[in-house]
Formats: sequence, C-alpha cells, structure tokens
Amino acid sequence: MATVLVHISLLAYVAGAAAFLTWLVRPSKRWVRAGRILLFAGLLLHAASFVAPADANLAAIGLGAEGWKGGQLFSLLAAATVLGYLLLDWKYDLPVAGAFVAPFTVAVMVPAHLVKSTARAVSPQLYHSVALFLHVGAAALGTAALALAFGLSLLYLVSERQVKSKRPGRIFARLPSLDLIDKAGYQLSVWGFVFLSVAIATGSLASRESTGTTLPFAPKQGFAILAWALFAALIQARLVAGWRGRRVALLVITGFVLLAGAYVGLLTAPALHGTVALGGIAP
Amino acid sequence: MTFLCVGLSHREAPIAVRERLAVPAEALPAEVRRLKALPGVREALIISTCNRIEIFAVADGRSAGEEILSALGPVAAPHAVCRFDEEAARHLFRVAASLDSMVVGEAQILGQVKEAAALAQEAGTLGPELSRALARALSAAKRVRTETEIARGAVSVSSIAVQLAHKLLGSLEGRSVLLLGAGEMAQLAARELKSHGASELLIANRSAARAEELAREIAGVPVSLAELPSLLERADVAICSTGASQFMVTRELMQRALKARRYRPIFLVDLAVPRNVEPTANELEGVYVYDMDDLERAAAQNRDLRQSHVGKAEGIVEEELRAYLLQSHERRAVPVLARLRAHAEAVARAEVEKTLASMHGLDERHQKSLRAMASAIVNKLMHQPTSRLRAEAGQGPLGEATAALFGLDEPGPQPMPLPDPAPDPAPQPLPEPTPEGAVLPFKPFKRKS
Repeated sequence: MATVLVHISLLAYVAGAAAFLTWLVRPSKRWVRAGRILLFAGLLLHAASFVAPADANLAAIGLGAEGWKGGQLFSLLAAATVLGYLLLDWKYDLPVAGAFVAPFTVAVMVPAHLVKSTARAVSPQLYHSVALFLHVGAAALGTAALALAFGLSLLYLVSERQVKSKRPGRIFARLPSLDLIDKAGYQLSVWGFVFLSVAIATGSLASRESTGTTLPFAPKQGFAILAWALFAALIQARLVAGWRGRRVALLVITGFVLLAGAYVGLLTAPALHGTVALGGIAP
Repeated sequence: MTFLCVGLSHREAPIAVRERLAVPAEALPAEVRRLKALPGVREALIISTCNRIEIFAVADGRSAGEEILSALGPVAAPHAVCRFDEEAARHLFRVAASLDSMVVGEAQILGQVKEAAALAQEAGTLGPELSRALARALSAAKRVRTETEIARGAVSVSSIAVQLAHKLLGSLEGRSVLLLGAGEMAQLAARELKSHGASELLIANRSAARAEELAREIAGVPVSLAELPSLLERADVAICSTGASQFMVTRELMQRALKARRYRPIFLVDLAVPRNVEPTANELEGVYVYDMDDLERAAAQNRDLRQSHVGKAEGIVEEELRAYLLQSHERRAVPVLARLRAHAEAVARAEVEKTLASMHGLDERHQKSLRAMASAIVNKLMHQPTSRLRAEAGQGPLGEATAALFGLDEPGPQPMPLPDPAPDPAPQPLPEPTPEGAVLPFKPFKRKS
C-alpha cells in the first residue's frame, strides 16, 4: 500500500515539476495553480504513505521499525522539501522557486527508490532508538530547508546577474525581488542550521548507542560537520558584519554541496558496517 | 437604429484643441444629458480624457452624428471623426483595450471608460444597447490584459526606475530616497517612489534655497551636498540629476559607504548628462547603477514587447467584436421570431383545445400526450425557419418576408412562448428585447469612490 502511494505521489511530483517548468516558458497563472495543486496532492499521498501499513518494499517509518532504510530518508527529505516549499510559496508567493523545488523533489525520490533495492538495515541496537528517530527527522528537515536555501541562492545569482548586466532576460519579469530572495534564503539557512545541529547531536548519540563511538571518522560525518561549520560562520557573518546578497548566496551553495557530500558518503558507505550504523542517519 | 461614435483623439487633434473640448467629470452628467436630448439620439456616453473626447451614441439614424458634431462646436468640427455601426463598435472596443492609446497598453483608459459608463448610467443616458456594447468591450479589454503582454513592463523612464527599485529592494515601505539635484525627471521618479511607500526623501542641491523649496513641494527633507558620503550610507535609492561636469558619486566613495551600509544594496539612478555616477561603481557588490541609456533601453524593450503583442490583442478584440455584433444582429431578428412562435403556438393551442373539447372522457395522460404532440409539431415546423432567421440576423429579406407571409405585422396577443425547438443540441433562449429604461442584464457600472 505504502509503495503504491509513494509511486502515485512521485507521479504527482513529476507532473507538478512539468507544470512549473512549463510556466517558465509560458507565463500563465494556470500552470502555477496546477503545479501547486499537484505538489500539494503529492504531499498528501506521500504523507499517507508514511502512516500506511508497511509492505515488503517500504517499511513504515517510526519507532520500532524493523529497519531504517536509506530510501526512507530520501523519501522523508522529498516530503519535507515539498512541505517547506509550499509554506514558503504561501508566505512569499514564489512560483519561480517551484520550478526548482519540484524537479529537485523528483531527483531526491529517485534515490529513495534505488536505495530500497539494497535494503540495508540498521544495527539491531538501534531498532527502538529515539535518538535515531530524531536524527533522521532533523536531517530530513534540515536538508530540505538547506535545499530550498540552495535553490533560492541560485535564483539570487541569476537574478542579480540580470540586474547588473542590465539585460533582463525573458524570465526576469517573473523573478521576485532580490531582497525577498535574500531574506527568504537566509531564514531557510538559519532553520537548516538549527536542524542540522540537532541531526548531528542526535546522530552522535545514536552512534554511541550502537557502537560506543560518539563521532566516528567517515566521509558522511566529515562533510556534515564541514557544512555545519560553514553555515555557522555564515550566520555569524550576517549578524555581525551584515553580509548578504551575492557572497551569502555563494556560501549557501558551497554549504549545500558539502551537505550533499554527506549524502554521497551515506550512499557509498558499506552496508551494515559498524561506522554506517554509527553514523546515525540511515544505513 | 445606428450605433455611432463622434470624437477625436491625440491622433486627430493637437492638445490645444483637446484641452478646449475636454469635459470635466463634474460637468459630464449635464453634458451627456444634453447630447441625449438631441433629435434622434436614444443613448449617449462621453469618454473624456486628456488624450481624447469621444461620444458614443445609439440613434435612430446616421443624421444624429451630424447633430452631435454640431453640438460639439466649431472647434471640434475640423478634427472630429464620425464612425458608424461596426466601425463605431470596433473603436469602442479598441479604446477600452488601450489599443488606441498614445502609450499602447496603458492601464488608465480601462478605468476611465468604466468611470464614463458609471457617469452616463447615473445621468440616465445609458440604454440597453450601449450597456451591452460597453460590457462586451470591457470584457474584451480584460482578456487583452490577461492574455497578452501588452500591459507588461513600464515604458517611461521614471516608472522603469521605480520598477527596478522594486525588483532590487522589494517593498519600498520605509525606504530612504536621496535626490541629488532637482531635475524634472528626477522629481517625477522621486514622487513615484514616494507614492510607492518610500518614507524619506532627502533632497540635496547645489543651491540650498532650491533644495528647501523642492523639499516643501514634495514633502522631503533638505540636506547639504557636503554630507554626501553619509547620505550614501543612509539612502536605499539615489536619483542623480545635477549639472556637475564630473562624477559626484565615485566608485571609491561608494566603496567606503558600502561597509558602513553593512552591504545593504543601493540603487543609483543616474539621470544626468554628463553622468553623475562613475559607471564602474556598478561592479561593486550590492551597488546597482542605471544611467539614462540603460533606462531608455529598458523602456524601449518594453515598448517593443508591447508592440509585438498588439497583433494578438487586435485578434482578441476582433473576436469579441464579432461575438458582440452577432448577438446584436440576433437580437434584431428576435421580434419577428417571437411573433412567429407566438402565432404558431396560439394556432396549435387553439386546435388542441378544440379537439379536446370534442373528445370527451380522455384521461389526463392522453390529454398531455396530445398537447405534447402539438407542441412537437410546432417545434419541428419552426426549427428550420428559426435557424434561418437567426442566421440572417435581421439583415436579410427573410424577416420581412416572414412577417408578410404570416401576417405578423400587427403584434397580437402574446401567449406563453413554447420552449426552444428540441433539435438544437443546447437550446439557448434568445434574450428578449429590453425596453429602454428597463433593468439591464448587466452589473451596474461602478464609479470609483
């Protein structure tokens, strides 16, 4: 049941992505409305899949699950990104960000399907771990926020380039103001940083529960710490020296690439190896 | 009945003529009533803006056009254009859709047409025909605005500046605007920024007296040019229009200001020639410099964009006009059709009743069947003539021929009309002709408060 729901929601995300991308080319509000409805419908189905009875392919998430699977994390991340975007869009009216978020969500859902085939389980010590549950949740929310901040930063660079070059392109009229992109991007970075902090802390607890090591040395952990440090520095620079605009956008992009490195680390780590479970995110 | 338009616009008459003919809003009701009182005029509407004065009227014949023209006076006569029927309707549609405007796609005209309609309605000079034409013209204008990019993008230098300020800074609420110099265009841009929410207008000028005078005029704060470095730290938008022969805002000055601004972006609008702002300041992070050429180029781009959509907009207008004309023609064919139907139904009903009276003991079900059969025969017989008369739309000989053939000239007693002929896939009852002064099938035109 859960698998069917996830498949349908993926289809809704694909259709939503197509609607938003079409809007970039053909600026009719109908496409935006269609995109929003499709993403929202996809999100509802997706949320339903989390509480639907588990089946052979996708275990339900939550405490007491037989095993966390990498696919679930990506699935959760995709849902969190869509939720974050819909909230952002509701507050700021940012359909242009939808053109980034919807394809991103689809891209994230693909690993969700790929990873499940390897079906790696966590170490048995973590089956009922509260720390791991919080860790996965915080990691998904943090990554979703930073993914949105990353998208907005790219948008900022494109938009700023058009203003500076004084040659606005076709898409220019549909871009929000630089100030809005900058502020929204910063807010998301702060939220992302907070969740990332929680994810690292709880991850380290989970790691200790399973193997006794608080911070194992592995690519995933290394990249996550680097990304966290970069976002910490970025927030500090914003608060103290008033950094904003282009330089902040570049830092957010770098930070997100580092965080993506942590996911690559997660996916390439050997199955059921001690450090993987120790790492906490998901095996 | 004739739909006509007498008027002139920026195309036909210079401003000296237009300003003499313009009718102020408070005088419009009286003026439009005066026009309606002219012989042969049934309905009248005046659209008076700075670019045009147009009188749309529904009259008994074309001669009313001359009456209206002479009522406009000798100043208008050499310039005014008279349009009739389709041409007049097309003109109304094009005016409302801003296709006849000096700046194609400008937004004000739609509001002005609505305002004129509301005034005429209040004055009691708007009848069913003009109301229908207006309603259709306004909906065509709305379609043009939403389906084409004809109204997109600012086309004047000052509005481009405001649009860019929005693009950079988002809302202008609480923003500070610095005016360096007191050029006309700079003032215009400053006023527009203020109307968009800018809270502070700092005015610096070589002549302190002029700065103070201008500050009083546009509710700004006079400041000294000597404070320029600190002013550049404070302002979000600076509009430069001084006559200085060298750069007043240099890259170096701006670089120093940036740190103190904590990298808050600043929009420098340079309307001066020779330029006041060093162009390389645009390379600095968070500094956006637009000079006259840049703004002009953007304005020209938007004008081109609008122009490129004129064809599509004209297509929409033409489509809506066709639909309006067709409906209008159909309505003219209605009287004969209605009388023909009434006649046929009366005959059928009389025959049915006669038959029923002679057939005693027929139960209700059978009586109903008999009535339904009579009704079906009428519908079948009427179907072809109805379609033909509708298609002819009162323009061909069939209407008169029908009237003569069936002796329909004298409107007899009006029995209940039969339903529309069944063979029509989606029967659409034709609207009844509305007597003048009756409640119109349209929403009343509202005036802006």
